[in-house]
Amino acid sequence: MNVELSRRGFLTAAGVGVGGTALGAFGFGDLEVAHAAAIRPFKLVNTMETRNTCPYCSVACGVILYSKGDLRKGENADIIHIEGDADHPTNRGTLCPKGSALKDFVKSETRLRYPMLRKPGSSTFERISWDQALDRVARLMKTDRDANFISANKDGIPVNRWTTVGFLAASATTNETAYLTYKVVRSTGIVCFDNQARV
Amino acid sequence: MTSSLQPDPSAIGRIPAPPFARLPDPEVMFAQRAKRLLALAEVSDLGAYLSFVAALAQAQHDIQSQLPEPSLPDEDALARAREFAMPPIDRSGLSLDPAVARTLDLMFDAAASIDKPKEAEVALGVVRQAGPGTVTAMIRNVLSEAIPADAIAEHAYVAGGLQAHVARLAARLDGEKLVRVSDGVCPACGGPPVSSLIVGWMGAEGARYCCCSLCGTFWNVVRIKCVLCSSTKGVGYREIDGGPGTIKAECCDTCHGYVKVFYQQKDVSLDPVADDIASLGLDLLLRDSEYRRGSFNPFLLGF
Repeated sequence: MNVELSRRGFLTAAGVGVGGTALGAFGFGDLEVAHAAAIRPFKLVNTMETRNTCPYCSVACGVILYSKGDLRKGENADIIHIEGDADHPTNRGTLCPKGSALKDFVKSETRLRYPMLRKPGSSTFERISWDQALDRVARLMKTDRDANFISANKDGIPVNRWTTVGFLAASATTNETAYLTYKVVRSTGIVCFDNQARV
Repeated sequence: MTSSLQPDPSAIGRIPAPPFARLPDPEVMFAQRAKRLLALAEVSDLGAYLSFVAALAQAQHDIQSQLPEPSLPDEDALARAREFAMPPIDRSGLSLDPAVARTLDLMFDAAASIDKPKEAEVALGVVRQAGPGTVTAMIRNVLSEAIPADAIAEHAYVAGGLQAHVARLAARLDGEKLVRVSDGVCPACGGPPVSSLIVGWMGAEGARYCCCSLCGTFWNVVRIKCVLCSSTKGVGYREIDGGPGTIKAECCDTCHGYVKVFYQQKDVSLDPVADDIASLGLDLLLRDSEYRRGSFNPFLLGF
C-alpha cells in the first residue's frame, strides 16, 4: 500500500464520505436520486483479465485472456476474448495470424482433451487414461531403443545414438522445464529433437 | 508521430515501446472534453449536470487565451526532482501567485455566465467573494484531495481553475524527462488518477495509461495491476451487465479500491474525465459493494 492510498482513504472517511456529493452541492441532487433509482435494476458482471503465454511457437508471445465469471467468488469462468499483451516485451500486444485465432484454438470442438489411442489396424480413436498412455509410450520407446540403439560407429568409437525416434516438446514452458526436457531426451540418445526453445 | 514529414522506417521495422508519459495539450483537451460532455448529455439522464460540467470545461478552454505564461520551476529544481524520482511540479509549492489568482478570477467570471441551479450560483458567489486566505486554504484542500463535505461545489470551482493552470504548467515540461514516481501518482504534478484508458494510440496500441485528475498528463501503467496499491493479485473488472464492455471498474481484492478503466481502443470518443462523470451509474452500483472509489474527480466528489 502506498502513501497516496492511505492518505486518500483517510480523507474519504474524514471529509467527503460523510456528507454530500458534487451533484447535490451544485443543485443537481434530484438528478442523482433519479439516476440511482434508474440504475438499481441493473446488475454488475465481472470480467477477469489473465496474462498467459501463447502456446504455438518458441517466440512465446504474451497474451491476455478475458473471461466472464468470477472464479474468486466460486463462479464458472468462460473465455470470451484473447488479445496480445501490450506490456509484454516480446510482442508488445501484437500477435501473428495463428496467435490471433487462439480463442478458436481454445474453443475448438476437435481439441484434444485427454489421451487418445488408435490401435494398429483400427480406424477409430479411443480414450485411455494418462497412466495407460504413459506406460504405452514408455514401453514402445524402450522396445524401439533396445532394437535400434547405436552405441558405437563402424570404427568402434562410442556414439550412443538413437535415430529411429523423434521428440517434439512444447514451447510455452519455463526455462527450467525446457532444460529438464533437453536433459531427459538427450540422455536417451535421441538425435531428432525439437524443444522449440531456440529463441 | 504522423505529424513528422521525415521518413521514419523504424516505425514499421520493429514494434516500438510505448512512451512512458504523454503531456496534456490544454489548447485542445478542455474543448474536447466539453464536446464529449455535451454529446453524453444528449443521451444521459444526468444530462443537465453533464451540460453544466461541459460549460465549465468550455470555460477552462476559453480562458486559456487570456492567461499569462506560467512559470516553471528552475532547472536545478527540475533536475533535483528527476534525480529523486519526484514530480517536477511541486504541489505543496503551488500557492495563490499572480498567475493562479488570474486563472481563478477568469474561471469564476466565465462560470458566472453559465446557466445553473441556485446552489451552484450561491457557491460561485462564495468563492468570488472569498479573501486570499480562504482561497489559499481551498487550493490546499483541493491539492491534498481533502474537500470539506459542506463546501464541495466551492472547491470544485477552485479545482476547475487549478486544472486549467496546472495543465498549462505540465504542457511546458519535457515529457522525455519525466520519471515514474509510483503507479498511482502523476509523474508531472503528483496528482492521483481520475481514471485509466486502454489506448489505441499509434505505437502504444492496447497499453494502459492513467490520466491525472489535476493536470491531465497520461502515464503508462502495466495492465491488470491495481493503480492504487500496485497489487497484481485478485484484480477483477466489473461492468454493468449488457453494456458495450468499454467501461469497467478495476476492482482490487488487496486494497478494496477501484478505478475505472475505459477501453478507448474500442471506442475512441471515451474521455477520461467526461465519461467518468457520465458513468456514475457504475459508481452507484458499486457503492454497496466491498470496493470503494479510489480515483479523484472534483466533479464527482462524494462517491
